[in-house]
Amino acid sequence: MSKRASISPRARPPWTVRVVVPTASLIAAAVVGGLVISMSGNDAFEAYRTILDSSFNGVRPLTRTMTLATPLILTGLAAAIAFRMKVWNIGGEGQLYMGAVVASGLALAIPSDIPKPLMIAAIVLGGAAAGAVWAGLAAIPKAYFNADEVITTLMLNFVALSFMNYLIFGSTSFWKDPKSSFPQGLRIPESATMPRMSYRLHYGIIIAVVAAVLLWWVLRRTTYGFEVRAVSDSKEASRYAGMRVNSKLISVLAISGALAGIAGAIEVSGVVKRLDPTVLASELGFTGIVVAAVARFNCLGVIPVAVLLAGLVVSGSSLQRLGIPPEIVFLLQGLIFLFVAAGEFFLANKVTIASTVPVQPAGNGGLANE
Amino acid sequence: METTTKAGQEILQVRELTKSFYGVAANDNVEFSLHRGEVHGLLGENGAGKSTLCSVLAGLYRPDSGEVWINGRPVQFRSPLDASEQGIGMVYQHFRLVSSFTVAENMVLGLKGRDRTVSLGQVEGKVRELASRYGLDVEPTAHVWQLSVGEQQRVEILRQLFRGAQILILDEPTAVLAPQEADRLFDAVRQMADQDHSVILVSHKMEEILSNTDRVTVLRGGRNVGTLGTSETNAAELAKMMVGSEHLPEAIQQVVGQFADKGLVLSVRELEVEGDRGTPAVDGASLDVVAGQIVGVAGVAGNGQREFQQAIAGQRQVAGGSIMLGGRDVTRLGSASGSRSGLAYVPEDRLGTGLASGMTLEENLILKGYKELPYSRYGMLRPRLIAARAEQLVEDFDIRGSRSGLPVSLMSGGNLQKAILARELTRPHDLLLAASPTRGLDIAATAAVRRHIRADAENGGAVLLFSEDLSEIIELSDRILVMSRGRIVGSYTPETLDIGELGLLMSGAKVHG
Repeated sequence: MSKRASISPRARPPWTVRVVVPTASLIAAAVVGGLVISMSGNDAFEAYRTILDSSFNGVRPLTRTMTLATPLILTGLAAAIAFRMKVWNIGGEGQLYMGAVVASGLALAIPSDIPKPLMIAAIVLGGAAAGAVWAGLAAIPKAYFNADEVITTLMLNFVALSFMNYLIFGSTSFWKDPKSSFPQGLRIPESATMPRMSYRLHYGIIIAVVAAVLLWWVLRRTTYGFEVRAVSDSKEASRYAGMRVNSKLISVLAISGALAGIAGAIEVSGVVKRLDPTVLASELGFTGIVVAAVARFNCLGVIPVAVLLAGLVVSGSSLQRLGIPPEIVFLLQGLIFLFVAAGEFFLANKVTIASTVPVQPAGNGGLANE
Repeated sequence: METTTKAGQEILQVRELTKSFYGVAANDNVEFSLHRGEVHGLLGENGAGKSTLCSVLAGLYRPDSGEVWINGRPVQFRSPLDASEQGIGMVYQHFRLVSSFTVAENMVLGLKGRDRTVSLGQVEGKVRELASRYGLDVEPTAHVWQLSVGEQQRVEILRQLFRGAQILILDEPTAVLAPQEADRLFDAVRQMADQDHSVILVSHKMEEILSNTDRVTVLRGGRNVGTLGTSETNAAELAKMMVGSEHLPEAIQQVVGQFADKGLVLSVRELEVEGDRGTPAVDGASLDVVAGQIVGVAGVAGNGQREFQQAIAGQRQVAGGSIMLGGRDVTRLGSASGSRSGLAYVPEDRLGTGLASGMTLEENLILKGYKELPYSRYGMLRPRLIAARAEQLVEDFDIRGSRSGLPVSLMSGGNLQKAILARELTRPHDLLLAASPTRGLDIAATAAVRRHIRADAENGGAVLLFSEDLSEIIELSDRILVMSRGRIVGSYTPETLDIGELGLLMSGAKVHG
């Protein structure tokens, strides 16, 4: 009698499994990461303690982590809503740049003496609109000509990056600081900067968390969300039910772009304070895809995942001070992604180990279809 | 039972083959024999067990009981590879070719061991030789994606011949072909038979079987109801064998014509609709459905039924003609325009069209009504009212097997169909359009579905029923139409019904007058 594992798909795992599997994935990633750190001649426990201390232990480390988590929550949401609908928007990066360009432009153009809340509302909305339009450039060809959005959104990233670089490095644009001796963006007025909560942490985190909760609620509880879920599940069935499938596709991509655009606006208003291509082009859009994937495209799940990944990134410089290469951070990120993806298998399938050979149901599932 | 037309030697024999799926016998003590050098037709309605028999022969399924003998020796297939080694090659309806590979590369795909080490040049040579020998012209260096559907099918056949198949099983080979291509295919089939190959031709098109086979075996309900010499039979006899004439009189008695002459609910005139490949699928079809009446459209699948239904439902563009629904011209209006609010539609494809497979039963039950009171207000869903509605429908329509939070794809076919009916019939509607509503369902679910359809008509609804199950059409309909090649070619009332003639019309033959 040999032991044999049998695997059967399951629709929805019990909540215990849903808690245990991701936790086990994280632990496994930490263990493997620890082995690699040890092999590189460093103390793994020391490294992990440093990560925890520098990112999560205490108010100041936490504010640094949350500050970085803010754009990651937004780009994570951008990816989550699009990917859920099987629209592969990998243009979060470019949509974020365009959000930053328009937000900083508005901040410089609007008279600086208008009330701060109005100013901030204007630049956040402006950033959202810019991101939505940028995503729309890919959405409309997708909806009407079935142009592959993977290609179009990816290519638009480069266009946006070049445009942003041109504004600062290639021209004497409205965005550029004319007095500075080296090319840099003009600083936005005080009224356009996001107020701070504690240390460098600004109120953008509130916007991000509210966006996540709002999106979660919209998807679950509104007729619009119902349509989005139906279309993402089955275009045929949605069309059959009389829904406008193309307009849902376009609107979801626009919302996705708007979220990335808001991330850009908030980065400008809360952190960078000017249009600075080198700081903004730090792959926040792409990291958002990782955030969304690890969160299994769940809008609320995006929040803790973004915080976790932000914490890892923030600890990089502290690791460096210990003599541990900061690349370890990327390694850990990759491992977490890998193990969470592997854990997905255990969520989707029930694995039982039996000592006798189980009887496999034969055939095609019972219907003798001709 | 058996008539030998050609003094061929028996190459394949099936003895008392039974294969059940979850207690339902798809093949029930089937006897079947195949001679060397013959083309043997396998005829039957959907669900008659043709595919199951072929799948057993191709090594895809293992029989529950019974034996397969080849050249006088019993064989057992553990996999399609075993069947292939015994010289059985199957050409499926859906081709299994790698489109970015060349024809020759597809030939060696999946070969094991020594066979794989031949040079591509040698393969190409052999393909050319086989192609000219059987009249299966294909350029071996062409990539599969460059080929037409007919050419791809030839590649599939060549692949089996390349592997040394003596027995070829062609599963509905003409379903994907244009008429000229079909003629070419049958020429090749004849050449194969002349060169001592045996061909099993699976089809539900009677005409095809009659003009291209030596013998024909008819399956019904998983049983062999007879093997005949093709030249000794005719379409009417085969139609009766396929449908089973014994339960006809009773079925007709059940039809109670409730001709309440109310308004005309659906009026279709000279409808023309294109199929997926841009060819005319519906070609000037006209019909009327009156309130309180069930109109049944019989016909072999692929004669424009699907396109017709989709046009009625506003999901496919109309190329010509007109559709009046509830007194309104909806010819040019799509389903999203709200023009189909008076239509209850039970589509053929339950999971995927009728239902969103990944959503829950509750959600699927409001798939059409989610924007209306009381299920939503001001754009917000009202979960408690939605759940209450679901509870009510589950009880009224006896929908079983749903668990809250789980996708409907886990439910059985019968319960899925009940769910669709529950949603569609409880919405205000003038017309019920039902496509193959009982296909694949068990007896109890079938009875329930038919009861709901009949009740709908009795309540004054107009019903347009499409089905390949002729007995279902006869049992339910007040008027029976026949659809063939995109046209309505026959019209009967239960009293004037002539089953033999109807079978002929279904098969595409012309009937005098």
